[in-house]
Amino acid sequence: MTELLSLSNIRAGYGESVVLQDLSLVVREGEMVCLIGANGSGKTTTTRVLTGLLKPWGGQVAFAGTPIDNIAANHRVELGVSLAPEGRQVFPNLTVNENLLLGSYSRRARPQRKRTLAEVYELFPILASRRTQKAGLMSGGEQQMLAIGRALMARPKLLVLDEPSLGLAPKIVLDVYRAIVRTAEQGVSILFVEQNVRAALSIAHRGYVLANGRIAFAGSAAELRNSKLVQEAFLAPRRTNQGPAPVKVSPISTQREGGFG
Amino acid sequence: MSLLPQFLIDSILLGGLYTLMAIGFALAFGVTRIINFAHGEFIMLGAYAAFWLFTGWGLDPLAVMPAVIVLGFACGWLLFKAFIERVLTAPNINQILLTFAIGLVIQHIAVILWSGNSRSTTPEYALKALTIGDAFIPYGRLIGCGVAVLLVAMLIAWLKWAEDGRAVRAVAQNSDAATLMGINVKGIYALSFALSSALGVATGVVVSFIITVTPFMGFPMLVKAVAIVIVAGMGSIVGMVVGAFVLAFAETGFAYYVAEGSGWAEGVAFVLITAILIIRPYGLFGDAEA
Amino acid sequence: MRPELFLRWAGFVLAIAVLAVPFIGSPSLADLTFRTCTLAIIAISWNMMAGAGLISLGHSGFWGVGSYVAILCANHFGIPFLPSLVFGMLGGAVIGAGLALITGRLRGIYFAVATLAMSEGLRVIAVMLPDLTGGAQGAYLNSALFPGALAVNIAASFGAVVTACLSWYIGRTRYHYAFRAMRANERASQMLGIHPMLYRVSIVIVSGAMASYAGAVSVWYGGYLDPGVAFNLHITLMAQIAPILGGIYTLTGPILGTLAAAGLGEVTRQWLGHVEGVSLLVFGVTLAICVLYLPKGIQGGVDRLFRSVAKAPPADDSTPTRTTR
Repeated sequence: MTELLSLSNIRAGYGESVVLQDLSLVVREGEMVCLIGANGSGKTTTTRVLTGLLKPWGGQVAFAGTPIDNIAANHRVELGVSLAPEGRQVFPNLTVNENLLLGSYSRRARPQRKRTLAEVYELFPILASRRTQKAGLMSGGEQQMLAIGRALMARPKLLVLDEPSLGLAPKIVLDVYRAIVRTAEQGVSILFVEQNVRAALSIAHRGYVLANGRIAFAGSAAELRNSKLVQEAFLAPRRTNQGPAPVKVSPISTQREGGFG
Repeated sequence: MSLLPQFLIDSILLGGLYTLMAIGFALAFGVTRIINFAHGEFIMLGAYAAFWLFTGWGLDPLAVMPAVIVLGFACGWLLFKAFIERVLTAPNINQILLTFAIGLVIQHIAVILWSGNSRSTTPEYALKALTIGDAFIPYGRLIGCGVAVLLVAMLIAWLKWAEDGRAVRAVAQNSDAATLMGINVKGIYALSFALSSALGVATGVVVSFIITVTPFMGFPMLVKAVAIVIVAGMGSIVGMVVGAFVLAFAETGFAYYVAEGSGWAEGVAFVLITAILIIRPYGLFGDAEA
Repeated sequence: MRPELFLRWAGFVLAIAVLAVPFIGSPSLADLTFRTCTLAIIAISWNMMAGAGLISLGHSGFWGVGSYVAILCANHFGIPFLPSLVFGMLGGAVIGAGLALITGRLRGIYFAVATLAMSEGLRVIAVMLPDLTGGAQGAYLNSALFPGALAVNIAASFGAVVTACLSWYIGRTRYHYAFRAMRANERASQMLGIHPMLYRVSIVIVSGAMASYAGAVSVWYGGYLDPGVAFNLHITLMAQIAPILGGIYTLTGPILGTLAAAGLGEVTRQWLGHVEGVSLLVFGVTLAICVLYLPKGIQGGVDRLFRSVAKAPPADDSTPTRTTR
């Protein structure tokens, strides 16, 4: 598999505070990779660096084999990088439909707008029924679906999701994850940032653990699940209830095996 | 004879004009978050353009309006690129003082070039009026209001349906998220500022045959536009329309029903600003975040 | 000599000179000194408000109120020169208190807009109450009460020195830190145990009273007042331009800036004074240039010079506009 996105030795921060010390990670074509870490470990900063919203102090960002450090954030969308940002950040006073149309503002996506729109509405039927509603008036889960749908409207090669399950009810998390898996099956590479480690590892192929601005551990989903680091740092509180590893496979991953679409 | 019909007609005609004035001003403010204290000077420049084209070549203000609008757009774009863009991330104080200074410079260039004398543009329709019963409708104001409403409607339609119009609204709400859509935020800033300037000169063309044209006409109009935006809060076009009509009705009401009211009417904008700041600092239609 | 010591001596000498000019200077020098002193007063006054994060676009409002109160006192109540100045200051203080209370927590743009509206509103009131103010035609000050040019000049010089001292004093007390904290973030300063509203009202009152004093002295100097003179936008512009030119948020900045602006004004007047509007054009251009290219003003340039002499490592003023936020 060829490398789609690679971050090498990224150093970044805000003002005088360093957030990312020395971060390197890779997402290959067709992969679903999760980035996990505690609050403040630099997950969101990573997404901001790779989408170009934040200029790193050092290191290199490459996409599809070419360095993109000097490409502005809005032009990276044209290359095929799309982010559903932390906290959803939908345009609250615009309707659902308008939010989605904005998703395909890029030249890359505009010609296929109609088809993509139909696909997104098919992926998230609830959005279709809320088409003319103002985005700001929707529930958190619906807004998250809208944010993902909006990112998909750009027809990305790489979809980056920042905390897609944050603050959502378990049932909604399930819906959102189902959509993510379906998207991955259509050939879109996915990098997603999660605090909900259990859920994330249930669908990801590989994962990185971020701590103090560095990658503390990297490996396949199974390796991460079984690693001491992950168990202690992220899975520990519940382990006592559920007994020792292997962690129970959640229903989401069964659905993935069952195949969608 | 009752004053009421005349009062209503005057208020409505004035409200239409104020809507154009306020929306033009608010467009740049709402998108770039930089208050353009030079907006009044664009109105003044538009009025002078209409005046000179009328007296020099006998061209009708309405006929030259499209050309003047294009020119205003270009000037606004240049102004943004040359100056405003440099203070986008600067503290408020730099932004406020810069646009304030630019306004002063434009105003005094006008004083030097054209002197402080009052002038007026007098196409035929500016001198005639329509009478319905007791009421008296000056054609100039009627046409001015009509043009204003048309321009505002065009702007709203553009914001609603055009690709870049939608992008303008997106940037106004969340510029980071707009960047993620592939929108060139700085480009949209420049576009909004230029469009705002274009609407400013259009306002000037319209008022050129309604009120007298002087280099100092911009400042009171700026205060009025500010009052309307304060009433409306940012980002609400409906609020802006309401605010414009509130101001128009209040001013006209003063002029009709209060002794020496037309002089006091000039202060209505001030009272409105004060009142709103006391009651609801973020406008009747805005919210704290806007 | 150490910079602070040098500054203190320079300030002392300047103060003595300013106080001496009315007695020994030629009439034209006295005139220039008078105008420079009133400019210094409003510049320091403006800078004090800016230092607390309050951007005023309405200093002409304070000035005008001071002028009108003074002329009212003289013409309607026969109050002589000095007490009328006190009343003028009181007028500015009242307007300042009103402004601060009405604007509540408003900051930045909204506060600036409110000040702009205030000065426009006051102008309308002045036009519309001709019985009291002489209306648009204006009014002449009761010449019987005129205390002589010397007294008026001394009042202006004295006012400028006192204002500068007051601003120096505030800069040395804990108020200074309170205002800096407010400028940075009013809500955060609240958590530091600073009561922003109290500080805010007091700074606007003091600043307003200062600007009104300058206005009151000026009306005695000129002897004539109409709304256009009293609430001239020119005053607001000058109140801003001197601190910006000299170096905003500092003590010496407004004074340096006042001298520079006065010099610039004189040069413009001599060369291009016959062209209507040209002096404001020059000042407008200067303000724009300062904001764009010299955000720390002359003071910032001088500081850099001192530092480079002292071989200090280059300080962090590469992006001055952002760090002052």
